[in-house]
Amino acid sequence: MNERVQPVYLEEKLEEIRADGHLEYRSKSLPTWCPGCGYFSMVEGLTTALKRLEIDSKDTVVVSGIGCASRFPFFVNTYGFHTLHGRVLPVATGVKIGNDALTVVAVGGDGDAFAIGGGHIPHAARRNVNLTYLVFDNGIYGLTKGQTSPTSALGFKTSSTPYENRDAPLHPLMMLLSYGASWVGQAYAGRQHHLADMITQAVSHQGFSFLRVLSPCVTFDKTNNTYANLNTTVRDLPDDHDNSNLMAAMNQASRDDHPALGLYYKEDRETLEQVMKATASRSVKTGTGRADKQ
Amino acid sequence: MIKSNDTDIQIAICGSAGDGTIASGDIMKRAAAAMGFNVIAFDVYPPEIRGFGKCISRIRISSKQTYSLKQESDVLVSLNDSHAIPHAAEVRDFGVVIYDDNLVARVAEGGHISAHIDAAQIPYGFSIRQISEQATNSSRSRNVVILGCLAGLFDLSAENFHDIIAKKFATKAQSVIDDNTKAFDAGLKAGRTVFRLDDIKVRAGKIKSNGAEAVMMTGNGAVVRGFLESEIESYFGYPITPATSIMERLAVEMPPRGGKFLQTEDEISAIAATIGAAYTGSRAATATSGPGLALMAEMIGLGVMAEVPSVVVVSQRGGPSTGLPTKTEQSDLNLAVFGGSGDAQRIVLAPTNVEGCYRCAGMAFDIAEIYQTPVILLIDLYLSNRYETVVPADAGTYTPKPRPQINLEGGENYKRFEMTKNHISPRALPGQPGLMYTATGLEHNEQGRPNDDAHMDMSIKRHEKLKGAVHYPGLNVSKRFGDKGKVDVGILGWGSTFGEILETMYQAQAEGISCSAMKVVMLSPLPLQSIEDFFDDCREVLIPELNYEGQFAGLVCGALGRPVTRLSRATGSPMVVREILDEVRRLSGREPAPVQAVGAMGARS
Ligand SMILES: Cc1ncc(C[n+]2csc(CCOP(=O)(O)OP(=O)(O)O)c2C)c(N)n1
Ligand code: SF4
Ligand SMILES: [Mg+2]
Repeated sequence: MNERVQPVYLEEKLEEIRADGHLEYRSKSLPTWCPGCGYFSMVEGLTTALKRLEIDSKDTVVVSGIGCASRFPFFVNTYGFHTLHGRVLPVATGVKIGNDALTVVAVGGDGDAFAIGGGHIPHAARRNVNLTYLVFDNGIYGLTKGQTSPTSALGFKTSSTPYENRDAPLHPLMMLLSYGASWVGQAYAGRQHHLADMITQAVSHQGFSFLRVLSPCVTFDKTNNTYANLNTTVRDLPDDHDNSNLMAAMNQASRDDHPALGLYYKEDRETLEQVMKATASRSVKTGTGRADKQ
Repeated sequence: MIKSNDTDIQIAICGSAGDGTIASGDIMKRAAAAMGFNVIAFDVYPPEIRGFGKCISRIRISSKQTYSLKQESDVLVSLNDSHAIPHAAEVRDFGVVIYDDNLVARVAEGGHISAHIDAAQIPYGFSIRQISEQATNSSRSRNVVILGCLAGLFDLSAENFHDIIAKKFATKAQSVIDDNTKAFDAGLKAGRTVFRLDDIKVRAGKIKSNGAEAVMMTGNGAVVRGFLESEIESYFGYPITPATSIMERLAVEMPPRGGKFLQTEDEISAIAATIGAAYTGSRAATATSGPGLALMAEMIGLGVMAEVPSVVVVSQRGGPSTGLPTKTEQSDLNLAVFGGSGDAQRIVLAPTNVEGCYRCAGMAFDIAEIYQTPVILLIDLYLSNRYETVVPADAGTYTPKPRPQINLEGGENYKRFEMTKNHISPRALPGQPGLMYTATGLEHNEQGRPNDDAHMDMSIKRHEKLKGAVHYPGLNVSKRFGDKGKVDVGILGWGSTFGEILETMYQAQAEGISCSAMKVVMLSPLPLQSIEDFFDDCREVLIPELNYEGQFAGLVCGALGRPVTRLSRATGSPMVVREILDEVRRLSGREPAPVQAVGAMGARS
């Protein structure tokens, strides 16, 4: 099941990567993450997806919150907006409403998403804003140097839970499914190609797509979400999983001990932009808008 | 200034929630505006939605330009005696109190308003309930009967009332219009049979300029109009008194114009989405009150740092915390000017009347886009909700400018935050080729890359670029009224209070006091030169404002280090002209006023 890492010869690999063309989407700034951090694979994943979908980088906006993960926009050669801790979704919603011709990708960490920003997720999901939300879930606060997060495992000792974490972790996928997200998936930073595929699908989905990416923080988590642990615990969604069945998706999502990778749920539903356009034409017809009335 | 033969009457209608008090005042003010008068009207509601709380509708009807409500009303109409009794004293000598002299229920001694009418006041009893019941088989038309009485007393054109009644109930059944018309006519008949008033008269000499009909607007309505005329494209909001009506109006008006309207989950998202949309070049705005502004503070800081233009309307109410949700106050000045982390200067505009709301709202997007920064439009409940007649010819002095096209050279050398002579940098919008950059709340260099070393230079840039805003063409960032040159007393003011300040100044002048007044519309950056000139000309400077700490006085003192006298009031109600006048008299050396008239924070600072 796990991808075996094959030895590669650097020059050969470089040729291959250049030929692919996705490097054009990389910015001149090299990522500032710790060597080994799972986040590197995300840059690779998104740039690959944009290249595959032939989305012009000038028409892409990557919006982020604050955290290690949220440094992401600086490392891709698109328009970017590095905003505030927890506020990535409302800003991204504004960007999409401001110009719906843009491809909008929102990114952030688990603290950014589920702690400080937790109040915004249900609303972006239920409105079905046509954007992609990539949450890099390392179960820890990386940027502030290792405090517990809403997805930290029970018993995890961090700098803010020196005796152990006693707050039950959230179930992000179950939350998103019940919030009405129209595309919910999970990937793992240690599975590069699968991650790129999932991002490609998420970006091409019409509506709010949520991809949780399990990603090790090699610096502040030596015990839980490590490559060694995740390599053995992650599984694929069963072949017969029906991703149009919300309850089946919920069922799979509840099994956090063996996180399944793949597309949990997908639904075609009117997007916020479509609703806004329909309201506009309806109100013109009914003539509800009257300038004179104050 | 009002002369003795001008029309200038103020009517106060007082009742309990459910009596139709506010609706009655609404018909009155619209009819008066239709007759061509200058109208200022302001309603006071109880904080609860249901129940029997007190409602008062005050309407000032004048043949000349006026600036605020009068402190004393000429006429008080009681629809509910227990609520109206405390307001009997508000009626001036030889003013009129209209009440029901034929109540069905027995009232306790002193419970009837007639027992509280002063000898100098004129009581007018009508069988209000009975007239209503005879006309419409219901006592529920009392609020329209009294309008008939008023029209009869003052010889006002019934036609205008009929017209407004028909318009107001246009969406209801014809019988509703008929009943209200009948109730009005019955009241009219009653009003005409009593003796007329010599003292309170409605005379000709109406305000109509260039043949243009005056329109009546609230401050919030004027903001909406300004936004629509300057082609607002996106609006994000969360309901809060007294800003909600801006959002509700835009929800109706924007979609047919292709605008995007969204009610967000909270104020943080409202400002976040506003800034997100603005980042793409969309004209985006939000509106809130103090508690919402407190939540927005961090995001406004991002707007300052990332140099994204946005417009935030803040209509103040009493605070702190949930405070006085339905009462007015000017206590969010500090939050509007300074709120947030770091040195985050932004532009703050505080119009002083309804027309000013329209003009400032209309210019706000241009200003935000030129200076690439958040613009806060700071008003208050008194301005948001009060009605004024605005002659469009006057208001129309603002014409939206065509929006500049941003054409930039793409390429390696593009610097989003380039240091330029005027400190304003070329702004690329997503979708433009070759100009990709990342906006960030981190301190950054000219390319927009995170960089701590650039902090001093960028701080200079962000502050210096706003300096030119005080000369923004077409916007009176400050304006002086009254006596020119050296004066004894200068009254310096901002926001809605300036109406009372102007009224005070004219009265002081009439008493022979050398006095002038200056309004400051741009609170950040402050037009320091003109304020300093004003201080140079005034022996004493008085700053009346509606808050406890004297926030504007603090701002001005901090900037200029000159002594002022504060008249700070936190009562939830508009400033009282007589109190300001007493202070002006005292400062002019005319008449000593009691010490308690001086601001809460001490006489001079
Ligand atoms: C309002 C606010 N509160 C706190 C912080 C400090 N802070 C920055 S990042 C962060 C948590 C980051 O954790 P996560 O979102 O999981 O991202 P990671 O660094 O793990 O990628 C915190 C608490 C902040 N920047 N702003
Ligand atoms: S601290 Fe953790 S999350 Fe942050 S860059 Fe380093 S490894 Fe990655
Ligand atoms: Mg994290």
